[in-house]
Amino acid sequence: MILPEPLEILIEELNKLPSIGRKTAQRLALHLLKSQKEDISNLVNSLISMRDNIKICSKCFNVSVDDECEICKSPKRDNSVICVVEEVSDVIAIEKTNEFNGLYHVLGGVLSPLSGKDAASLKIDELVKRVSNSNIKEIILALNPDTEGESTALYLAKILKRFNIKITRIARGLPIGGDIEFADEATIGRAVLGRIILE
Amino acid sequence: MTLNNLLISNFRLHKNTELNFSDELNYFIGGNGQGKTTILEAIYYLCTTKNLNQNSDTEAVSFGEKEFSLFGKFNELIEYKTRIQFDIESNKKNFFINEKQVTRSASIIGKFPVVSLTPLDHAITQGSPADRRKFVDSIISQLSPAYLEILLEYNKILRQRSALLFQIRERKEKSLIDQLEAWTEILLNNGTEIVKHRMIFAEEFNKIIRENYLKISDQNEIPSLEYNFLNSVSDDDIKKNFNDKLDEYYDDEIIRAQNLVGPHRDEFIFYLNQKELKKYGSQGQHKTFQIALRFSQFFYMFQVIGKKPIFLMDDIFGDLDKNRVKKIGEYLKIVGQAFITLTDLNNNNNIFKSSNDKIIFVNNGHVHYA
Ligand SMILES: [Zn+2]
Repeated sequence: MILPEPLEILIEELNKLPSIGRKTAQRLALHLLKSQKEDISNLVNSLISMRDNIKICSKCFNVSVDDECEICKSPKRDNSVICVVEEVSDVIAIEKTNEFNGLYHVLGGVLSPLSGKDAASLKIDELVKRVSNSNIKEIILALNPDTEGESTALYLAKILKRFNIKITRIARGLPIGGDIEFADEATIGRAVLGRIILE
Repeated sequence: MTLNNLLISNFRLHKNTELNFSDELNYFIGGNGQGKTTILEAIYYLCTTKNLNQNSDTEAVSFGEKEFSLFGKFNELIEYKTRIQFDIESNKKNFFINEKQVTRSASIIGKFPVVSLTPLDHAITQGSPADRRKFVDSIISQLSPAYLEILLEYNKILRQRSALLFQIRERKEKSLIDQLEAWTEILLNNGTEIVKHRMIFAEEFNKIIRENYLKISDQNEIPSLEYNFLNSVSDDDIKKNFNDKLDEYYDDEIIRAQNLVGPHRDEFIFYLNQKELKKYGSQGQHKTFQIALRFSQFFYMFQVIGKKPIFLMDDIFGDLDKNRVKKIGEYLKIVGQAFITLTDLNNNNNIFKSSNDKIIFVNNGHVHYA
């Protein structure tokens, strides 16, 4: 069946979004078709308002309404600790834990020679500048535990070494809150291979 | 571990085939191209999510259909219902255990351990070093899910690192050289873990193959497997020697933009009476060695995990002499559940084990029991 063109265009646009397949796009479009005109306007306006009003923080590259984001501006945050993450979504995830009271630095990805992501295409120079210009005591590398995340962490540790600050990595291994017996074999196996010495 | 029941839909010649199996030996009898190997292929998919003969998934879908699905009931204290579905359009395989989707391949492979003996096994002793690495890796991966993950990561590291070496050859920037150091460190860490596993494997496997070869061959020959990583004898050695070799090849790696050092270049060498099999072995010795390797794999896996893997044997009796067939027949009495294809029954009367065995005739994608 050939769909009416306006519907087809909407499905195509929705389909471009991450994790929205053709079927989901179609379901969303048909749902919107049934919505009140007012709801549709609200949705469209919120999209435009977001595009017009959200900036990228000039200091940490988190999302922000102003030139500097809420976290960077807050006097309550410990500005001697920077947590380095890949994407804004990681900031959101770590903020939810309420365990971290320092500042962030969003790299905008990880090093990947295969896809042409080199140091210059990430916010690495900016990180080095932040470290050299302020009284940073600790850098926490909170990158994903895959090969690219790991190589990026090693690279950052190497170039930040000269500042004589504490550089830490978040732990990788078993998920907490579950018993070992319920974790999958690959995870347990890696945790055993990556065991650490208790002095 | 046994497979009790199998349902095959839209899989090559099998439009809709249901099979009930014996816990012991199951024979599939039929001419060429009737669909008996397909049944082994289906079982292998359920155990590993991969194709038995390294064919593409798309090829396995029945002509004119969009997807195949396989449904198996395994028994290991409790029943596991497993299902695998492949769809041509999305080119995606979905795997379910007890109707729960499982996405991480490392958590499936090894859960239903399997050993296969097929005509393609000639490559293990007669093919390239890559064929032997694949044989070894497929065994360790079934025993160690962590190994499989490390191996997959290692391959990714190799691709990233060679892309980076290529960039460094083009422009020697400081930042790229620093990045290379990071990738080299990960290569070293993952590679060392792979070598450690392979060393343990080679040591254990050597003992087992000696016993098993003698049970199949009528000659009093001594088989062995040699594995050596840069002359390392201890765990600490591996990393140090690996590192030294990387230093030594530093310039070469950049000039050639290739990863020149590491377990991806490992060689496993087979010997018979201290003579290299690949160079000096006769056809008969190769064939016996290949069969002994698979039986050794079976007993090695049994020793490590304490349960008998499922044994698949595709058309192996065809070119064996009577004496050899008899010896293998004896041997089949001690394996657990096995699935064996034969072109006819007449020449193989002496391999049956018990009244529990099942004989299933396969004809143009249809089955009937004897
Ligand atoms: Zn900020």
